[in-house]
Amino acid sequence: MRILLIEDDHSLAEGITTALRHAGYAVDHTPSGSKGVSLAVAAQPDLVVLDLGLPDMDGLAVLRSLRGQQIKTPVLILTARDDLPSKVQGLDAGADDYLTKPFAVDELLARLRALERRGASGGSAEVVIGDVVINLATHSVSHGGNPVRLSRREFSLLRALAERPGHILSREQLEDKLYSWGESVASNTVDVHIHNLRKKISSDFIHTIRGVGYKLGPSR
Amino acid sequence: MKSIRIFLLIALLSTITLVNFIAALHGYRASMQEAERLFDRQIAATALLLAAIPIDQTAPQVIEENDLQAFQVWSADGQLLMRSDNAPATPIGDAQEGFSEQNFSGFRWRVYSRPSANGRSIRVAERVDLRFRLADEVVLQSVMPILIGLPVAGLLIWLVIGHGLASLKKLADELRHKRAEDLAPLTLAAPPEELLPLVRSTNALLERLQASFDRERRFSADAAHELRTPIAAIQVHADNLARQLQNSAVATPGSLQQLQDSIARMAHLVEQMLNLFRMTPEHYPARFESIDLHRLARDVIAELYPAFARREQEIELLGNTAYIDGDQFALVLLLQNLLNNACKYTPQGGRIAVDVQRQGDAVVLQVQDSGPGIPQEERERVFERFYRVGGDRHESRVPGCGLGLSIVHHIAELHHAQVVLGPSSLGDAQAPGLAVAVHFPVPKSVERGIKYEKVADENLVS
Repeated sequence: MRILLIEDDHSLAEGITTALRHAGYAVDHTPSGSKGVSLAVAAQPDLVVLDLGLPDMDGLAVLRSLRGQQIKTPVLILTARDDLPSKVQGLDAGADDYLTKPFAVDELLARLRALERRGASGGSAEVVIGDVVINLATHSVSHGGNPVRLSRREFSLLRALAERPGHILSREQLEDKLYSWGESVASNTVDVHIHNLRKKISSDFIHTIRGVGYKLGPSR
Repeated sequence: MKSIRIFLLIALLSTITLVNFIAALHGYRASMQEAERLFDRQIAATALLLAAIPIDQTAPQVIEENDLQAFQVWSADGQLLMRSDNAPATPIGDAQEGFSEQNFSGFRWRVYSRPSANGRSIRVAERVDLRFRLADEVVLQSVMPILIGLPVAGLLIWLVIGHGLASLKKLADELRHKRAEDLAPLTLAAPPEELLPLVRSTNALLERLQASFDRERRFSADAAHELRTPIAAIQVHADNLARQLQNSAVATPGSLQQLQDSIARMAHLVEQMLNLFRMTPEHYPARFESIDLHRLARDVIAELYPAFARREQEIELLGNTAYIDGDQFALVLLLQNLLNNACKYTPQGGRIAVDVQRQGDAVVLQVQDSGPGIPQEERERVFERFYRVGGDRHESRVPGCGLGLSIVHHIAELHHAQVVLGPSSLGDAQAPGLAVAVHFPVPKSVERGIKYEKVADENLVS
């Protein structure tokens, strides 16, 4: 797994490089935006970690240039700018994730692993949560080794929750996911499907945070 | 001066009236002099006519006359030869030729005496009040048009001034409807010459304000960047060091943990100081929009949920959709600070309840926890910068920098909201808990019911 790090702060870049190398990545580092663009094209890294405040070329310009050249490599933006417009601009320009400085190394590694998974989720992507295995390709689910039969809508809901394990999704967000599969949704549909999923898998598999939404896994 | 329009109306009408009256007075005097000459000439002509009449009889002849003129004809030896019936039998006027004024028959008269060629004396008199009556008529006729014309002039002046002041009114309207955070230049199309300096200097002022806001924003963005990058580097190196020590046979020294804690504290302090700086109303040009506070609370809780899960705390969101006019970035920061405080000060396995509700003319965001709470006597001071309940070494050993509630306070100020601290309904005798309530004003559009219609529509769709 090869990572291209575009970061102009020498000390930070060195620290990140050490951490990434130790985690088993091959790291190319450049402090220059324009060099970063040519490296991303020539070296074909699997992931790009991009700082926004570069001296020669703005990070967003680097990102646009990459996306303009049809380079689809997942990009994680690393930045000191935390205001909302900057985040929106970054994601709009084609970034896959956004991490603000300062950050814990563990968090950076976790996010990179998530990007890796997303980039690699071609044929046989499996999400494992406890003793539940969700196969996104074959739409099959098993609980403790036993297959669980789900309707298409139930699977859509489960998939939405499984895509971001540990995160809460609101009822509206889940409804949106169902809409995007081209179904029309009645107001209590989500509750009904959640109820069915709990019955078919296990009662503490989906946790409700009252007034906020649902997440996979037990409450704590 | 209350109104330029009324002032101008009164001033102009007074001027017009004054000028007209002076003109009328002058005309009156001139015509009076002219009339006097005419009347005198008329009396003289009558006297000339009487002098030419031959009179023979000795008994005085009495001639019937109108009331306005009288005359006498005296012989050279002082005999009254002829008189009008309204003239007395005694001589009127002087013997010398010329004009004089006299009283007789109950009136004042203008008298003309004239000796004739045969030694007689002719005296013709005319009542003076005739002249006054004419003068009255002249005055009335010159004043009447002014009296009638004045209201018409007033109305016209009122309208013309109104028209002339229209651009001033437009400017005032534009300024009045400008939102506090809107620093765009005034857009008055083709302002009149007199308003141009006002518009120009106002726009220059707005430009300077905008520039200073921009400078502040750039400074805080630059400061954020310059501070966060080295902290990020220190943290990464410390993390690397910790991992290397973990993998080596050497036992991890306690000082490394201290180092990592200190870095976390410093990072937190820098963040909070930046936030405090950015949220001070004079530094922060808020961009207000209609925001569903309930939805925003839900998103922030979802984002922070892992922290509550780590401390095995139970959190719930109550209430329902409530729109306020707010700045999203600032409100997210407010929610994050309140929720982080609740998370930090509520013990492991405790409870936190967030509630967003409309209460009368306010939208109230309330965050309650089952933590130790804040004693009554310290509730005022917690909004002070760097103040921490129980001093720096907090008994809960919770790291913090004492800026969270100051930031909350600034953001509330930015939104004209009030922050109220009280005991929590989740508390008990040992831990009374804390309830922080932020009362936001209900936006005008919601008061008129517009948002409710929108909400109703959304419900229909879903």
